Amino acid sequence: MSGLIPLTERELKKWYRNPVFFITGLLQPIFWILLFGSSFNLTSVFSGAGAAGTREELAVFGTTSYITFVLGGILTTSSLFTALFSGTSIIFDRRLGNMSRFLVSPIHRSSIVFSKILSTTVRILVQSIILVGAAALIPGGLVLSNGMSLLGVLIIISALIMIAFSFSAIFSIIAIRLKRQETIFGIINLINLPLLFASYALFPSKFFPAWLATVAEYNPVSWSAQAIRYVILNGTLTGSVLQQTMYYMLYLLMLTVFMLVVVYFVSEKEIRD
Amino acid sequence: MVHNGDKMSEDYIIVTEKLAKTYPGGIKAVKGIDLKIKKGQIYGFLGPNGAGKTTTIKMLSTSIKPTSGTSTIMGYDIIENSMEVRRTIGVVPQDLTTDEDLKGIENLEMVAKFYDMPLNDARKKARELLELVDLTEFGDKYVSTYSGGMRKRLELIVGLIHDPAVLFLDEPTLGLDVQTRTKMWDYIRKIKNEFGMTIVLTSHYLEEVDELADIISIIDHGKIIVTGTSEELKKSLQGDIVEATFASPDQAKVFGAYVNAIDPTFPKENVVRMKVKDSDREVPAIMQYMMKNSLSPTRFNVSKPSLDQVFLDYTGREIREEEAGDTRKMQMNMRRLRR
Ligand SMILES: Nc1ncnc2c1ncn2[C@@H]1O[C@H](COP(=O)(O)OP(=O)(O)OP(=O)(O)O)[C@@H](O)[C@H]1O
Ligand SMILES: [Mg+2]
Repeated sequence: MSGLIPLTERELKKWYRNPVFFITGLLQPIFWILLFGSSFNLTSVFSGAGAAGTREELAVFGTTSYITFVLGGILTTSSLFTALFSGTSIIFDRRLGNMSRFLVSPIHRSSIVFSKILSTTVRILVQSIILVGAAALIPGGLVLSNGMSLLGVLIIISALIMIAFSFSAIFSIIAIRLKRQETIFGIINLINLPLLFASYALFPSKFFPAWLATVAEYNPVSWSAQAIRYVILNGTLTGSVLQQTMYYMLYLLMLTVFMLVVVYFVSEKEIRD
Repeated sequence: MVHNGDKMSEDYIIVTEKLAKTYPGGIKAVKGIDLKIKKGQIYGFLGPNGAGKTTTIKMLSTSIKPTSGTSTIMGYDIIENSMEVRRTIGVVPQDLTTDEDLKGIENLEMVAKFYDMPLNDARKKARELLELVDLTEFGDKYVSTYSGGMRKRLELIVGLIHDPAVLFLDEPTLGLDVQTRTKMWDYIRKIKNEFGMTIVLTSHYLEEVDELADIISIIDHGKIIVTGTSEELKKSLQGDIVEATFASPDQAKVFGAYVNAIDPTFPKENVVRMKVKDSDREVPAIMQYMMKNSLSPTRFNVSKPSLDQVFLDYTGREIREEEAGDTRKMQMNMRRLRR
């Protein structure tokens, strides 16, 4: 894969050198946190009921801070939106002619696509770190009332890597033969919102009608959001929560491996200039 | 060195047989071409817009697969051994391929890494090549700050970074002004001489092919119409043109009766235009004929056929009609850049 390293380097250079990309990439997660932090104030929703309200709130959300509850969902959602870049930049390379160079070079064609996926994953991880930082700093933000374990940190990082990889891979596959950005933006509008709202990213399962809860169970956005959420809420995972988290991680792993294989075969065969 | 029949075939760096490409939608872009390209030659494809030049180059450089036919480059099959082919060849596609958001040198180094070149070698070679095309001071500048001509020069050397044995140049001077074009020709000649490279070049500028190519193939509608050196092609028209103007129509008529004249015509009553097989041999005889018949022309002109005429003769159209297309194509390239 002699192409993967130089191509990923290229992507990252283009990213951190472009002030617009870089700054909007960093601001986006902060906006998410500010927006959610102020528009959903759990304590004021439940406060009418006094101590009973707080108890109910804890039972439904597992925390009195909505940001703490929703952080796993926001991390996942912002990966979903950033992953789009791997698709659009494939289309750009084709339009600008860079693709013609890659296709006559002795590199695996899949390395062109994998470089997009890899660099987008790096972007998403950097964004995630900032997002977590912003969530911790904001008043009423992230509280780790049950602490954090090394296993917990590993779960969060691997969940993010897997979901970032899978989303980037999906958008890359969509873009692999497209010539126009407009098409991919259209597709994204079509799939992003349903993916977001038919998932546990923003609200707990108790809020869902049964049919939607079933859909949400099969939605990768839920897998990553829930796995991260369980870790944040519980600190150390035990018993059935640990089991459920591991199931979500397993689904994510299967999705990642599946996407890896699909990207490899599709891009080796189908990529054009 | 022992030469036998088998060895002879090794003199050819590129061999193709019935190479053809039909695009989805049934567009027959290339309709079966046979080529034999010798080592160290500059081989020129001359053809108007849509003739199939780029499609041919793309097939040979493995970026698209032929629909039928075969080809080998340095003995590697373009389908079976496409990786080896890519390692062997350098390509300068018709598109601009360098990344505007990177510096010139970074583009060169990135491509060098595609070929697993050690970084030190890559840097050295990159500097050398930048010097070759007079871009030394611009290597550390972002490509977005380059002019159109500088950009084309950079494109040219990106295809050379790994010292390929064969270089494909698809319309290397498209849309450039005359002065810059002449400069590019110098670079291309330098590349041939200094690196001993075999070069396959496409163009629809007659002068370019005439100037650079050792062998020319005229290609139109996806087929090679005729192949030869510039001299051979011109000779194949069977004749140079002699035009003479006389004081009286009578004299013109006598001159028109010259025995070796081919297709004499009279554009005006007192003007004769005729083809002769080989003007260098024929003119002395014509002189004698005129003296013998006391003909004294007021004007006398001999012209060797130009490649324009060759093109016109073989394709039935003027290649110049197409030239308006250049600016359009260049603009398309540029517009793509701005999107
Ligand atoms: N990707 C494609 N899909 C469908 N048709 C194509 C494609 N690329 C080229 N063609 C068609 O194939 C024919 C040959 O095109 P090609 O680009 O090879 O010509 P060319 O000789 O390079 O022309 P130009 O001087 O304009 O570059 C044209 O009719 C063109 O419209
Ligand atoms: Mg072309």
